[in-house]
Amino acid sequence: MTVDQVERELGKLRMNEDGTLALRSSVLNLVVVTDEESAPEITQSISKLAGQHPSRAIVLISDPEGETNVDIGISAFCNVQGGGGTQVCAEQVTIHAEGPPAEHLESFAGPLLVPDLPVYLWYPGEFSPDSPEFSGMARLANRVILDSARSEDREQSLRRIAALLDEPEMPAIGDLQWVGLSPWRSLTADMFSFRERAEELNKLRAVEVLYAPGGECRAFLFAGWLASTLGWEAESSARDGEVRKFNFSGPTGEVSFEMSPSSPDARLRRVRFHSDDYSFQVSRHKEISDARTTIMKGDELLAERTVHLGSFDLGVMVSEELQYRGHDKAYDAALRTAVEMLDL
Amino acid sequence: MVIFGASGDLTSRKLIPALYDLASQRRLPLEFAVVGLSRTEMSHEEFREKLRGALEEHRAGKFSEDVWESFSKGIFYLPGDSKKAETYKELKELLGKLDSERQTEGNRAFYLSTSPSLVSAIVENLGEAGMNDGGNGGWSRLVVEKPFGHDLKSAQDLNADIRRYFDEDQIYRIDHYLGKETVQNILALRFANGIFEPIWNQHYIDHVQITVAEDIGVGTRGAFYEEAGAMRDIVQNHVMQILCLTAMESPVAFDADSVREEKVKVLKAARRIPEDDVESCAVRGQYESGWVWGEEVEGYREEKNVDPESVTETFVALKIFVDNWRWAGVPFYIRAGKRLPKKATEIAIQFQATPHTMFSHGDTQGLEPNVLVVRVQPEEGISLKIGAKVPGQGFEVSSVNMDLLYGTAFLEEAPDAYQRLLLDMMLGDPTLFIRADEAEGAWSILDPVMRYWSENKKVSLYPAGEWGPEDADDLLEQDGRKWRRP
Repeated sequence: MTVDQVERELGKLRMNEDGTLALRSSVLNLVVVTDEESAPEITQSISKLAGQHPSRAIVLISDPEGETNVDIGISAFCNVQGGGGTQVCAEQVTIHAEGPPAEHLESFAGPLLVPDLPVYLWYPGEFSPDSPEFSGMARLANRVILDSARSEDREQSLRRIAALLDEPEMPAIGDLQWVGLSPWRSLTADMFSFRERAEELNKLRAVEVLYAPGGECRAFLFAGWLASTLGWEAESSARDGEVRKFNFSGPTGEVSFEMSPSSPDARLRRVRFHSDDYSFQVSRHKEISDARTTIMKGDELLAERTVHLGSFDLGVMVSEELQYRGHDKAYDAALRTAVEMLDL
Repeated sequence: MVIFGASGDLTSRKLIPALYDLASQRRLPLEFAVVGLSRTEMSHEEFREKLRGALEEHRAGKFSEDVWESFSKGIFYLPGDSKKAETYKELKELLGKLDSERQTEGNRAFYLSTSPSLVSAIVENLGEAGMNDGGNGGWSRLVVEKPFGHDLKSAQDLNADIRRYFDEDQIYRIDHYLGKETVQNILALRFANGIFEPIWNQHYIDHVQITVAEDIGVGTRGAFYEEAGAMRDIVQNHVMQILCLTAMESPVAFDADSVREEKVKVLKAARRIPEDDVESCAVRGQYESGWVWGEEVEGYREEKNVDPESVTETFVALKIFVDNWRWAGVPFYIRAGKRLPKKATEIAIQFQATPHTMFSHGDTQGLEPNVLVVRVQPEEGISLKIGAKVPGQGFEVSSVNMDLLYGTAFLEEAPDAYQRLLLDMMLGDPTLFIRADEAEGAWSILDPVMRYWSENKKVSLYPAGEWGPEDADDLLEQDGRKWRRP
């Protein structure tokens, strides 16, 4: 199947009953590099994106070890409008490339991109930033979406992503772990939004993070976000079993930061802040989609709130990422600080 | 119709299939006859069999035994050397015989599908044999394939040679691009729609990008390409025609003189690039090995019949200004090349940004100026990039691409370019053919660049599968712009 044939077949999917073609409206290109095993889950996530992000998705399933072979499939996800009309919101081209062509995925993706629209490159699994394939693909993209937690060595994964930030030709980077952290950052910021409590930010003395196993990337990014936002400098680190302890020097004194894994399914399970007089907490209990915030002065409960976090599956997180265009300065700073912590 | 160079590829691949289609659609008179002429020894029957095989290949699924039976009765072949006078004596006798046997009424079309070096000799021989006038009061027309010369001087010489025997209204210089429905649709888009004309000028347009990209390499045409290069093969003809159709004023009528007059005005207004400015206005590139659509391909210098140290360009990028009221200050960026990521011919009209944005910078991150793209091939259509509010509680504005493939809005299959042009030629309508001053005008724009390149043997390399060399990016970046990805 040539590029022309793929375009023609995609066109046919938009054909009305009278043989004319419906207008295609798109806002972005989404290029996904994945493996055979993950492809069905990815396709399902893409189908969920159709309504909010009308796009062309190019799913590249790569197997460089196999015999040279290329298979191409196309599909469309339709969003049925009121009045019985049908509108195609998203197209998907799936390319299985085996053997040497799998190392030159950009030669498939480039010609299929819809012109004049941003290109999001998503690696849902482990990625190799040093591979020629990654740099070739990154050159096509305006934003690269990674998942730091998908690597066996998560700390190394954070370091590798941070190194990408310094590459001059590299497009903006997004990390699904950062997206997953978004409600936690938002709820944390809310607790300090009153002027009186905002002053407590400068008086924080200790932070405790209890995260689910596998959630250390989020924990580090959370610590990096706090430190880079509040102007803390990482001074020292210590390890006690699985518990990691850090000391920061802030504008008004030292802050201890402790992160430890817990066993339940939920990932970042609790964050707790202690100032001289107050303690602030965001927690997520077994009811996965709800989070609770509490503010205490000594033993007195000053404020309490429970919010619904909604679904945070893969499709939702990618959808969040697709709303960003350029560099996310908060993420870049958080990641750099997280890596400084790792390097202590 | 007499085809010189009848044993060549063009005859079996394009000309005969186009004539067959016309015959099939009953657009050719019953009396119509084709005479193939070339040096290869063949009988009428052998020639017919060769063409039948080609038709079965190029019209697979549409070949009709009955149509062929009728059409092939009008196919003849004459072996001969087109440089020798006796060939023309035999040709004249054969045509006279066909006149009486098939009542072709003395109408003659001579299609020169030969090496450019033979054109002057054929024209002279036709003229000396008295075939520049139709027999028995009929007409005589000459169809000349591109390239029309290899520079301004040779084009002028060629035109002078031809006009010694044929008047301009007998000459049909063919650029098959103009026969494409899609190229003609540029005229329809511009002059059959009232909404574009008011904004089609320097007040609203920032710049124009014309891309003629091929993903294929030179293949078996290495020897030809070594002589021609992308400039002569593509830019001088196809690209300059697209430039003319994009930039021209509205002709007073859709007839040969009115349309071609307006095209010539564009070519006259195009600013000549001084040799001192070639480096900053033109880029010459050549593909190296690389990957195209999952396939590893060799570099130009490794292709068959190509000099291993060749500096022939397989990619050209140019910045051209059309100095008139409509286009003053609007650059036309042009690029054409082989072994680019995809096959695409497009005209992208990039409009100016809004003079003031009331939205905050953060809300307009994904917003870019409007772009109207007229896509000529592979899938004909137009797309328009516009800003739209992203659904949600904020007021984020982002670019949306609306894409309409209008080729398939009509269920009738578009005719092949040669089919259209051959019919126009037989009907005596040269509107979609190149006039002598058009061909010379295009050369005069490119001549200084080619002269500079012939003296400065520098070519910028690019890997196959990339959008040209880095110098091409610099050409726009120096103006604060960038190429769009077709």
